[in-house]
Amino acid sequence: MASDLVIPGQPIPLPRGPVPQLGRGIYEKDSQVRASLVGVPRFEGSSLVISRVRPQPPTSNSVVLGSITRLSPLQALLSIMVVDGIPLPPGEEFTGVIRSQDVRATEKDKVKIGDCFRGGDVVRGLVISLGDARSYFITTARNDLGVIFATSEAGATMEPVSWQEMRCPKTGKVEKRKCAKPEGLL
Amino acid sequence: MQSAFDRRRINGPEDSYHPVFANEIHESSSHVHRIRENRKISDIRPIFLQPGLISQANGSAYIETESMKIACSVYGPRQSKNTAYNEKGRLNVEVKFAPYSCELRRSPLRDAEDRSIAVAIQQALLSSVQLEHFPKSTIDIFLVIIEADGIEGCIASGSIAASTALADAGIDMYGLVTSCATAVKGTDLWIDPTQEESNTANGTLILSCMPALGIVTNVWQSGRIAPSEILACIDACNDRCTDIHSVVAQALLDSAPNKI
Repeated sequence: MASDLVIPGQPIPLPRGPVPQLGRGIYEKDSQVRASLVGVPRFEGSSLVISRVRPQPPTSNSVVLGSITRLSPLQALLSIMVVDGIPLPPGEEFTGVIRSQDVRATEKDKVKIGDCFRGGDVVRGLVISLGDARSYFITTARNDLGVIFATSEAGATMEPVSWQEMRCPKTGKVEKRKCAKPEGLL
Repeated sequence: MQSAFDRRRINGPEDSYHPVFANEIHESSSHVHRIRENRKISDIRPIFLQPGLISQANGSAYIETESMKIACSVYGPRQSKNTAYNEKGRLNVEVKFAPYSCELRRSPLRDAEDRSIAVAIQQALLSSVQLEHFPKSTIDIFLVIIEADGIEGCIASGSIAASTALADAGIDMYGLVTSCATAVKGTDLWIDPTQEESNTANGTLILSCMPALGIVTNVWQSGRIAPSEILACIDACNDRCTDIHSVVAQALLDSAPNKI
């Protein structure tokens, strides 16, 4: 397949008919479709893309995993380590912020950040906007978003018992978290 | 002077000199219009280009043109720190001379020369990178000049290496950037001059372009060149850039199967 490899700037021959939607790695300039990455152009659904597995900066609607680094009454700071399933290289984390109104979808005004996250928790979130100069805005207001890994005060890995509680298997103590619904659960 | 002293390093003597041999003095006095020994004045030096040598970096390239050796690594896109919100990404280029890269020992501290080379390379690359894909992010390009043979060669080879490393890193680009230098000596155009050749030239010109799109990204001229000669220089460089583009393309295609 080496003959189908294209390099940045190379025109891509298109099949006859309507111009397909252009996805990642492909751009159009002066009505000529060209590649912007090294790779093999292929169709993914109706759009033509050159796919390349590479750490990406988060964009709106990307699903991210990160650990909580700092808590305040208004927001929780998150160090984003995985973007859309692709881990970022160590030391190149992005910072995200979960504001108290973005923690859950209902009863937003009753949210207490301390009852939803703790330092070191691993959280799955959705990027809602590029945010400000310092951080990306993240939301956990969906059933499948929230804390996916947390350790208890006794140091054991906790298991979720409801969408806002987790239990320590060692001491049986229940701690409050905004849990993500585990995958494959009805 | 005191503040520029780096106490964490073993600093060499204040000044040291390359020993001067008798045959060198003889050579340097007669080199003004000396014909090149193993290539024509319209030829570039042979290029060895290898993408992906530095495994820690997201993308890297090593370029060697006779006694001009540069290693380039690309990191990022990573989050811009201490900068205002920016819809577009930032391209950060840093050039470092190895202490042993030149005839005189280079101090490990950054000086004005690496910065001006970095600016020239950044200008050459800036319009080729699709920075709108990287909001709030910075792409870092680090070049280490292992052996230098003239500033012109550093900028031209550095731009080629950096563009190759960007393609190797999978950064979206409009096209590959290639770059070529010319020195004007009398009425002759000497393509891809060495240090010695550019020292005796009236003026030098470096052209960076994207041959695939026919777009010039940067022109860098120093010294005295007449307008008609500039046009001749640009034409000559443009032809060589097209040749270099095929070298870069081949290097990328050869290394691509390891990446995809």
